[in-house]
Amino acid sequence: MTTILPALLLGVGLAGLAAPALAQPDFSGTWERYPAPEETADPRYAPTPIPDPQLKPEHRAEWEAGQKILAERLREGQPAGDNYVHCIPDGMPAMMMGMFPMEVFQRAEQINITQEAFNQTRRIYMNQTLPNWDEVDPSFYGRSVGHWEGDTLVVETTGIKENVRFRWTPHSGSMKITERIRLLAPDILQDQISIDDAYLEKPWTYSYSFRRMQDYKLQEYICEDNREYVDPDGNTRLKIGK
Amino acid sequence: MKFAREHYLAALACAATLAAPLHAHHSFAMFDNTRSVTLHGKVTEYQWTNPHVYLDIDAEDGKGGTKHYTMEMTSPNMLHRGGWSSRTIKPGDVVTAVMSPLRDGQPGGLLLQLTLPNGKTMLPGVPNAQRYKITS
Repeated sequence: MTTILPALLLGVGLAGLAAPALAQPDFSGTWERYPAPEETADPRYAPTPIPDPQLKPEHRAEWEAGQKILAERLREGQPAGDNYVHCIPDGMPAMMMGMFPMEVFQRAEQINITQEAFNQTRRIYMNQTLPNWDEVDPSFYGRSVGHWEGDTLVVETTGIKENVRFRWTPHSGSMKITERIRLLAPDILQDQISIDDAYLEKPWTYSYSFRRMQDYKLQEYICEDNREYVDPDGNTRLKIGK
Repeated sequence: MKFAREHYLAALACAATLAAPLHAHHSFAMFDNTRSVTLHGKVTEYQWTNPHVYLDIDAEDGKGGTKHYTMEMTSPNMLHRGGWSSRTIKPGDVVTAVMSPLRDGQPGGLLLQLTLPNGKTMLPGVPNAQRYKITS
């Protein structure tokens, strides 16, 4: 009796200590876009469509001109953006819907997300203060900090290069991306994205959904020998031979 | 496991359809998708690299000689998910390749299907494969 009681008490104590950690879900693992192309999504988990950004009038003309070129290219079967053709990764926020699967590495103090295409990795520093946009050097993934609100991982990102654009949408250096990431089901992850920027009349919001993959190992992606190039007329060409 | 495999096959089939053309990878517009060319010959190089895998062959020209062709494939990760590896083909293998030729007339194209020395025909998972006519 005398030995069991302390053990029980210890057990209760440990459970108490472990409880806050258990409240935070574990996103570790490999994820793919949901739904897959041509798959009908379960409405409970379907991503929200991405609306057009509500740009202020002074930025709308640039966006519209870009969309016209984009639509033309898509009709011709050309890629949407030039990044991949030039062996340049997506950057944020596009990498959250990069072309291939992604892997989440979760630790209490830092969460990394790697997208298979171009080995892109973003790093989310937990429970740190988001610097002002002009305190960090602009980059493809910017500076990201995160914290938990119950079962939801809230990530704030700033410091994205102005030439790193999502859907050819111009943005200022002070753009801020807020993500709310949570599990909708044990194997379905949702990322609600809200983009705030001085170029926008109101935040640009949409969501992505992901499905957990079983036993998938991300593959290396080094853009080692890019033989494609865009000629002066804007057509993608192939260099034959080395 | 089974689910995963089926899922990959489905994903591959559609990687292509890429209904969301916004997700199209590289451009395949440089290939003439209205016709195909069939080549038979010896592999000189099979280069397993990103962003694309390349297959080079010395194809019989029908006049007793050969002509060198370079064919583009998708990326190693997509090919891997479709059952290919860096060892599927090796230099010296005699293969039959069907390709969509380059529009600009250079000796090359986009590989649409490949018959290996053992007679097995493999599909390289070309996005929107149904858009590329096989006429040869």
